[in-house]
Amino acid sequence: MNTKTTPLVTPSTIQRSCPLPRGTTPSIPAFQSHANMISIIHKNCPFHTIERAKRKKKSLLVQSVLKREGYVVEEEERKGTMSAITGQVIRCKAAVAWEAGKPLVMEEVEVAPPQKDEVRIKILFTSLCHTDVYFWEAKGQTPLFPRIFGHEAGGIVESVGEGVTELVPGDHVLPIFTGECKQCRHCKSKESNMCELLRINTDRGVMLSDGQTRFTINGKPVYHFLGTSTFSEYTVVHAGCVAKINPAAPLDKVCLLSCGFSTGFGATVNVAKPEKGSTVAIFGLGAVGLAAAEGARVAGASRIIGVDLNPNRFEIAKKFGVTEFINPKDHDKPVQQVIIEATDGGVDRSVECTGSISAMISAFECVHDGWGVCVLVGVPNKDDAFKTHPINFLNERTLKGTFYGNFKPRSDIPKVVEMYLKKEVELDKFITHEVDFADINKAFDYMLQGESLRCIIRMQS
Amino acid sequence: MPSSTVGQVISCRAAVAWEAGKPLVIEEVEVAPPQKMEVRVKILFTSLCHTDVYFWEAKGQTPVFPRIFGHEASGIVESVGEGVTELKPGDHVLPVFTGECKDCAYCRSEDSNLCELLRINTDRGVMLHDGKSRFSINGKPIYHFVGTSTFSEYTVTHVGSLAKINPEAPLDKVCILSCGISTGLGATLNVAKPKKGSTVAIFGLGAVGLAAAEGARIAGASRIIGVDRNSNRFELAKKFGVTEFVNSKDHEKPVQEVIAEMTNGGVDRSVECTGNIKAMISAFECVHDGWGVAVLVGVPNKDDEFKTNPINLLNERTLKGTFFGNYKPRTDLPLVVEKYMNKELEVEKFITHEATFSDINKAFDLMLKGEGLRCIIRMDA
Repeated sequence: MNTKTTPLVTPSTIQRSCPLPRGTTPSIPAFQSHANMISIIHKNCPFHTIERAKRKKKSLLVQSVLKREGYVVEEEERKGTMSAITGQVIRCKAAVAWEAGKPLVMEEVEVAPPQKDEVRIKILFTSLCHTDVYFWEAKGQTPLFPRIFGHEAGGIVESVGEGVTELVPGDHVLPIFTGECKQCRHCKSKESNMCELLRINTDRGVMLSDGQTRFTINGKPVYHFLGTSTFSEYTVVHAGCVAKINPAAPLDKVCLLSCGFSTGFGATVNVAKPEKGSTVAIFGLGAVGLAAAEGARVAGASRIIGVDLNPNRFEIAKKFGVTEFINPKDHDKPVQQVIIEATDGGVDRSVECTGSISAMISAFECVHDGWGVCVLVGVPNKDDAFKTHPINFLNERTLKGTFYGNFKPRSDIPKVVEMYLKKEVELDKFITHEVDFADINKAFDYMLQGESLRCIIRMQS
Repeated sequence: MPSSTVGQVISCRAAVAWEAGKPLVIEEVEVAPPQKMEVRVKILFTSLCHTDVYFWEAKGQTPVFPRIFGHEASGIVESVGEGVTELKPGDHVLPVFTGECKDCAYCRSEDSNLCELLRINTDRGVMLHDGKSRFSINGKPIYHFVGTSTFSEYTVTHVGSLAKINPEAPLDKVCILSCGISTGLGATLNVAKPKKGSTVAIFGLGAVGLAAAEGARIAGASRIIGVDRNSNRFELAKKFGVTEFVNSKDHEKPVQEVIAEMTNGGVDRSVECTGNIKAMISAFECVHDGWGVAVLVGVPNKDDEFKTNPINLLNERTLKGTFFGNYKPRTDLPLVVEKYMNKELEVEKFITHEATFSDINKAFDLMLKGEGLRCIIRMDA
C-alpha cells in the first residue's frame, strides 16, 4: 500500500504551476506529435488534461515530455490508490450553522469514513444557492441544527465505501442534492429524474444506510443537508448522488452545474423546448432565471423577454440573451396582458423561476393559445394554490413543472459538463464573486443583499 | 343530383327551434344559394350532440332564436359559391363546427387547430361573408348554429368548415366523426398519447369519454380505468376497452387518491370528459408524478376555477387541454375516416338508436334521459 500522502494533482495546483497565461495554446511539437498523446492535449493547457493514466508508463512519459519542455509538474497520485487517510476519520474544517439565521462558524469537524454505497469527497469549490439560505433561515421549515449546508460544489473522491464500483479515489465529481439509483421506475423512465430512493429530502439530516450523520464535533452529531453538505473540506455522500465528470473540466466553474444552472437551463432545454426562432418569457432574473434564459439563447429563441420586479437586474440579463424587459410594477394591467400585447397573442414558451404564486399564474396565462407551453421551476410556499380558468387549458395551452431541470444527475450532468467544455454553454458569466472558505459568510451577505449571481467559495486559499 | 337547383333558392324541410327548450318544429324553409367561399350541402344523416342540447336549452347562454341546430352530420355537396375550388358538387363531406382556413398562424402550426378565422363561435348566427343568414321562412331569418346547422335537408357552410372524405365511407356511420367521437378520440391519440402498455383513466363515460377510451384501446393501453358517477354506464363501457371502474360516489376519500392507490402512485395518462370542475382537478391529481399527463376535454361552466397545489406541477406532472381532439378538420378528419375504413377504429358501437327526421325530437328525449350514446337521424324520411 502506498503510504505517501502526496498532494493530489488538482486543477488548482496545476493552474498555479502552469507558467502560461490562462487561455493560451502551448506549442509543444514533440508532445503533439506523439500519436498516443494527441487526445490528451487540451486547447488551453496540457496540464489540465494530464491523464491519470492507468498505465504507469504513459503517465511517466507525459511527465518527462513536459519536464523536458520546461513545465513544472507536481507529484501525481495514481488514481485508485489508497492514501493514508482511507478508512480513517478525517479532521477538517467545516462551516457549521449552529442556529437558524446566524452566521456560520468555522469549526474543526470529524468526518467518518464512507459506509456501504457512500463516498467521501474532498470538496475543492462550492457556491451558495438560495435553497441553502432558505433552510438556513428556517422560517416555517422544520429547523434542524447544527447543520452543514451547501449543495453546489465540485470535488475529488477521496475514498469509497463497500459496494461502490462506479467511482474510485481521484475521480472528479459533482455532488448533487438529488440522486439516481438507476433501479427504480423513475430512474428507468426516460422522462423523470425523481429517483424514489434518493430524491431530494430537505428534512433528513442523516445518511440512509444507518440513520446516522458522518459529521461530529466532540462526538456530537452535526447534521447533513440534502445529502451533500458541501460547506466542509470533506463530506460523505451516497454514491447515487455523485456525478462523475470529465477531469479536464475546471471544478471552480462546473460546480455550478450541481444545482442552480442545471435547474434553469434544463427547464428550458429539456422541458419547455423552445423551437429555433420562437419567443420565450422568463420570470425572475436571478441565477436560475438567467440559466433558463441561457437555455433559450442556446435553443435559438428570437425573443427572450425577462420579467422581474427589480430593474437593476436588466443590465446583466442582456449577457444571457435577454432581449427585452418587463417590470410588472410599471404597468396597471396584469403582466400576462402586457406580454400578450407585446407578442401578438402570447409567447411560445414561458419559464417561471421565482416561486411567487402570482408570477406562476401570469407565466401560464401569458403563453399563446394553440401551442403555448409554460414550465414552472420556482418553489412556492407550502399553502399556495395555483388557480386559473380552465378555458386556458381547453384552448390548447400546456402547463408543466420541472425538478432540477429534468436532468438525471448521474446520466445527464456529465454531458452538460461536456457542453461547457465544447463552449456550447457559458458558465463563467454566472460567477460574480469569489471568496475563501474562511469568508463564507460574505457569500450569504452578497446573496441576501441581492448583489450576486454566484459566489465561488474556494476551499483552499 | 338535380343540377337545376344550382344558383336557386331551395325549399326544403328543417327542424326549427323557435324557443329555448321547446321541441323542434319541422318547417319548410328557404335556403339561399352559397355566396363567396361558401358551399351548399345536402345533409343525408345527422346526429345529436350534447352541445346542441346545451345551446338549445340556452340556460345562461346568449339565446339566439329561431335557430337551426345540428353539427354532427354527413352529406353531399349540392353547389359551391364563388372562389371555391377544393370542392365540387357530388363530393362527400362532413360539416364541422370549427374550420380550417389553412392560412392563419394556427392552421400553419403543427400543434393547433384553433383557426383564427373559422374557430368555433357559439354566439354567431349568420354567415361571415355578409353577416346574414342563408335560412328564411317567409322572408324572416332563421339563425345558423356553429356554422353548420345540420338539422335541415340543405345547409350552407363556409368551405373551410367542410372535410372532404372518401366517397366509399358509409355516411350513416361516419357522420358521428364530425364532433363527439373525434373530440374524445383525438384527446387520447393526439394529446395524451399513451404508450403501449400504459395505464389510462377516463373521467366521464358518455360518448366523448368512450371515444377517449377507444383511443386508449387503439394505443394499446394495458389498463383503462373508467370513472363515472353513474354505474349503469359501466357495462356498455367494456365494449370500448374500459377494464376497470371507479364510481366516486362509492368512496369517502377523493377519487384521485383511490386511483393512485389502484395504480401504484397514479395513472400514466388521464382524459377528463365531463366538464365538471372537481373531476378536472381529480383527473390532474390522479396522474403519476415524474411522467403523468392529464388532458382536459369537457367544457366547464363559465365561472369555474381550476385550482391545484403547484407542487403537483413541480413534481413533473403535465396538464393539457384540447379542442376537437386537436384535429385539424380538413387536414385530419379524412384520415380518421380512413382509420375507420381500415377497421382500426370502430364506430358502429357508438350508434345505439335511429330516428327519422320527422321524429327528431325523439333524439332529444333519449339524450335528456341519458339513454343511449348516439342516435342517427335519417334526413330522407
